Amino acid sequence: MYVGQAIRRREDERFLRGRGRFVEDITLDQPIAHAAFVRSPHAHAAVTHVDTAQAAAMPGVLAVLTGADWTAAGHGEAEGVWPVKDMSGADSRTAYRPLICVDGVVRCVGEIVAMVVAEDRHQALDAAEAIEVAYEEKPANTITAGALDPDIPLVHPAFGTNEVMVTEHGLKEETEAALANAHHVTEVVVPTNRVTAASMEPRAYLGHYDRVNDRYTVWTTNQAPHIVRRYFTKSLHIPEHKLRVIAPDVGGGFGMKLYHYPEEGLVLWGAIVCDRPVRWVGTRSECLLGDTHARDHHTVGRMGFDENGKILGVKFETLAAFGAYESQWQASITNAYHFTMLSLAYDIPAIHTQVRAVYTNATPVDAYRGAGRPEAVYQVERMIENGAQEMGIDPLELRARNLIPPEKFPYQTALGITYDSGDPPVLMGKIKALADYDALRAEQARLRAEGQWMGIGISAFFDMAGAGPVKMMNDLGAKVGCYDVASVRVHPDGRITVFAGSHSHGQGHETTWSQIAADRLGCDIDHIDLVEGDTDRVPMGIGTWGSRSLSTAGMAVYTAADRVVAKAKRMAAHMMECAPEDLDLADGEFTVKGTDRKLSFAAVANASYHSGDRPSDLEIGLEETSFFDPADCTYPSAIHLCVVLVDPETCAVTLRNYWAVDDVGTVINPMVLHGQVHGGLVQGIGQALMEECAYDAESGQYLSGTFMDYAIPHAEDVPSFGLDAHFTRALGNPLGAKGAGESGTIGAPACICNGVIDALWHLGVRQITQPMTPKKIWRAIEDAKRTQH
Amino acid sequence: MKPARFRYLRAASVNDALQALAENPDAQILAGGQSLIAMMNLRLVKPACLIDINRISNIGYIDEDGDGVAIGALARHNDVKHSPLIRERCPLLTEAYESIAHHTVRNRGTLGGNLCHADPSSETPAVMVATGATLMLQSLRGQREVGAEDFFLGTYETARRQDEMLTEIRLPGRRTDGWAFAEISNRHGDFAIAVIATTLRIEDGRCEAARVVASGVGEHAARLEPAEEALIGGPIDDARLDAAAAAAAGAVDPHSDSHADAAYRRDAIAALTRRTVRRAAARCD
Ligand SMILES: Cc1cc2nc3c(=O)[nH]c(=O)nc-3n(C[C@H](O)[C@H](O)[C@H](O)COP(=O)(O)OP(=O)(O)OC[C@H]3O[C@@H](n4cnc5c(N)ncnc54)[C@H](O)[C@@H]3O)c2cc1C
Repeated sequence: MYVGQAIRRREDERFLRGRGRFVEDITLDQPIAHAAFVRSPHAHAAVTHVDTAQAAAMPGVLAVLTGADWTAAGHGEAEGVWPVKDMSGADSRTAYRPLICVDGVVRCVGEIVAMVVAEDRHQALDAAEAIEVAYEEKPANTITAGALDPDIPLVHPAFGTNEVMVTEHGLKEETEAALANAHHVTEVVVPTNRVTAASMEPRAYLGHYDRVNDRYTVWTTNQAPHIVRRYFTKSLHIPEHKLRVIAPDVGGGFGMKLYHYPEEGLVLWGAIVCDRPVRWVGTRSECLLGDTHARDHHTVGRMGFDENGKILGVKFETLAAFGAYESQWQASITNAYHFTMLSLAYDIPAIHTQVRAVYTNATPVDAYRGAGRPEAVYQVERMIENGAQEMGIDPLELRARNLIPPEKFPYQTALGITYDSGDPPVLMGKIKALADYDALRAEQARLRAEGQWMGIGISAFFDMAGAGPVKMMNDLGAKVGCYDVASVRVHPDGRITVFAGSHSHGQGHETTWSQIAADRLGCDIDHIDLVEGDTDRVPMGIGTWGSRSLSTAGMAVYTAADRVVAKAKRMAAHMMECAPEDLDLADGEFTVKGTDRKLSFAAVANASYHSGDRPSDLEIGLEETSFFDPADCTYPSAIHLCVVLVDPETCAVTLRNYWAVDDVGTVINPMVLHGQVHGGLVQGIGQALMEECAYDAESGQYLSGTFMDYAIPHAEDVPSFGLDAHFTRALGNPLGAKGAGESGTIGAPACICNGVIDALWHLGVRQITQPMTPKKIWRAIEDAKRTQH
Repeated sequence: MKPARFRYLRAASVNDALQALAENPDAQILAGGQSLIAMMNLRLVKPACLIDINRISNIGYIDEDGDGVAIGALARHNDVKHSPLIRERCPLLTEAYESIAHHTVRNRGTLGGNLCHADPSSETPAVMVATGATLMLQSLRGQREVGAEDFFLGTYETARRQDEMLTEIRLPGRRTDGWAFAEISNRHGDFAIAVIATTLRIEDGRCEAARVVASGVGEHAARLEPAEEALIGGPIDDARLDAAAAAAAGAVDPHSDSHADAAYRRDAIAALTRRTVRRAAARCD
């Protein structure tokens, strides 16, 4: 059995030796030209004039293109894949992100106004600098909390409001009643900070048009190449069968690389216009500005408790930033991934949530690792922490009293979602032991007496992973079917190629998909190759996002492999003159049960392609494809616990310990699981302590355009993690696997913030907006001092 | 290539570099490139010409200089950080290096380039001022010495003239001084939000001399004289610590930016003053 083994990642040798093949590494017969972009320096402005004459005459320049050219060519814009209606039933006020400014107004810093294509990158950049754009600045707003206030500038005046849509979910009356009758009500205002994925590889695209065969090719840093074809049907009006999309090695995606970014469409346009392949590789600054941002909620919440700390109801009102335009998947976050998960790991009888999506003059917001669930966990867990502190109940004990007990599974939340399996009390018991919780509380008391500020943070939650089923996701708004696809091709020599519609950009599918296939096919893992990320080779795919690949594409691999085995057994049975049911397949050989008669898998494969002696109703060949539509989402769960120390003089936070106990169902490869949890935790720690896409409130200027200004954690900023696991089987797929990509980012921000609040509660601090930099903690303490006096 | 077009000259000797500087008034010296190249890539600076000094031999030294140390223009951050001579004779600088940049940046970046760059939140200028270092500037016109206190004039602004090259940094001997460095940044290794470098001399339990130097809270590293005055003339006791911390906070006029606001920076200066003075006093021989 390969499944369950910590097999070393088969892809790592290539990456560690610098032999990965990324978009920037692609070479072609024709010399590749380069694109450079002129971007708006203003958060909101009318573009009154664009003068390209000087740039067009510069050395090496092949084309200078503007929005006017785009419109003249009849091109369009990419549609969203997850349109959602307002609760009134009306369509939401959607303005999709344009590929290039076409209506004479730029609505956020970084919006593309013109493109230069030149022989080399240097020439393209020089020419881009020579383009003169005249702007007339307009008032801008980048602040989510105030987006609907009177007198706030409108991002899209045609709508008459900055509101994209309002949605409500849950039990309104029951929640009001629960709060009215509660023994204690906690109220907290919790803004979730705006962050971005900051993937190691910046976004990059290469477009090519083959005029002879009338075929287009795009190499792209994308997580879902087949969906890219769909975007192009609307942006450049290219039929899906004419476009080949290749996502080669990609260095990190985190949801951020799911979209039809302006540069992706524009390089192919440039290639068509110039009859030359055109490439763009983003700089870090372009990416920190232009990659989709994430989170950016402003939430007011109220939670009611009975006298024992049992949660009776919780109510949320959230403003959720969309940025200047609606990015293609953004509506899925507020409307499929946020409200659904607000019950976390708790048995809460009444929940009601209202979300108003708003436009601001800022970079569009979309999915980033966790997408909606980190916000949900943060919002709920902050209420629970403050409630426990206010009621004088130990925060872990109060949580334990509210966990969903195992006998309630499958558990339907107050929001109508049903968790198939899980056992939160076991997770709580494990983390309590792992962290030696009681000793930590004793240490905290001792340190506090010495004037040291130590805090213990906790968060407990469920994730919704593994989208679909198709129908359920359609019902939540998806226009793309949330299944996935795999083909298992056995070659005549018995070696195997697996084609999967998922895409690995760090997840290690070459290892884990091969582990699954090798077990099903009873073969050596080294006899399997995996192909992903090429629409001409893989039949179809919905891609890798939302911790879905294992329970969709991975299950398609499983299913297709089983079909291959079933067919091969019929051929083998014919050759061995027995019944297919009498055959076992292991170690590359068919054996007749209870005998020593054997036939190699390779011989059967060869016969499947080349022998005329076969059952009359058996088709030639040995290749099967599965379009796998899961029976349910998966619901991984976890509990996190951390220890923070806050320096009383400088207010700097040290994250001293971090523990996590995960239930991700069946584990394919524990090392890959740990890698996923570690990486997610570090990103969650970044959100809690240092990461922020900041805008100047007055000018709308973007302040986080370099890694000097946008801080991501270094290895030395995080402790060594203490991980444990507990397994309950997922019921929606045959392997019982739940998906593990997002647990870290989902749980860490809430956990760490609760730890800091716990450290400072005795000083009167009740809430600190993340990232909790020293200045914010200092300010919170100063404010608390002032209100107490 | 991301920077704007520039000419590239490689100097084989200091004299070569000085010649090139004199002939190209729009040239800049390229040392480790850890500040300059980043700014060129962002096209924040567009020098017409770079004079690369990396191939000049024998200017990366760290040598004894009387009871002090002489550091050549090309001494890399990491060489300085790990130098036993500097640890012995200017441990304040060694301690400051715990907070400066990251391994890869330090491998390439130079102390000389760092000082010429004169970032207002850089740590090294504070150490230079606190220890009373001297900077040697050379041009075809000759050589001059500038005390660290007179070298830093503003944000990215120094007393160095366009045709001058910084050729050597001279650190005086430590004698009996106590020393301590402390900073606050949002992430370890980043540019500082606030820095204090302190040196003290205590004789017979009485503070005889003190330097309390701040960085990150003004246009350049500067002594906080009211804090120094609060320390001199008696024992370093709680009353003096409190007075110095308050005086330090009062002596700075910090700015607000996305990393920290002015009020926090001022409070941080008080905390760092207290912390460094306490530690420096304990280290007085
Ligand atoms: C990620 C990162 C983090 C950093 N963190 C810190 C930090 O925490 N603290 C800190 O202080 N610095 C930090 N730095 C900056 C670093 O210290 C640089 O090395 C230093 O500022 C410049 O030294 P250099 O040799 O690289 O000089 P260059 O970048 O080559 O030059 C800098 C400037 O000095 C001039 N110059 C260089 N040498 C001479 C000379 N001999 N004579 C005259 N002019 C000269 C150049 O013309 C240029 O204007 C960081 C840099 C990076 C990239």
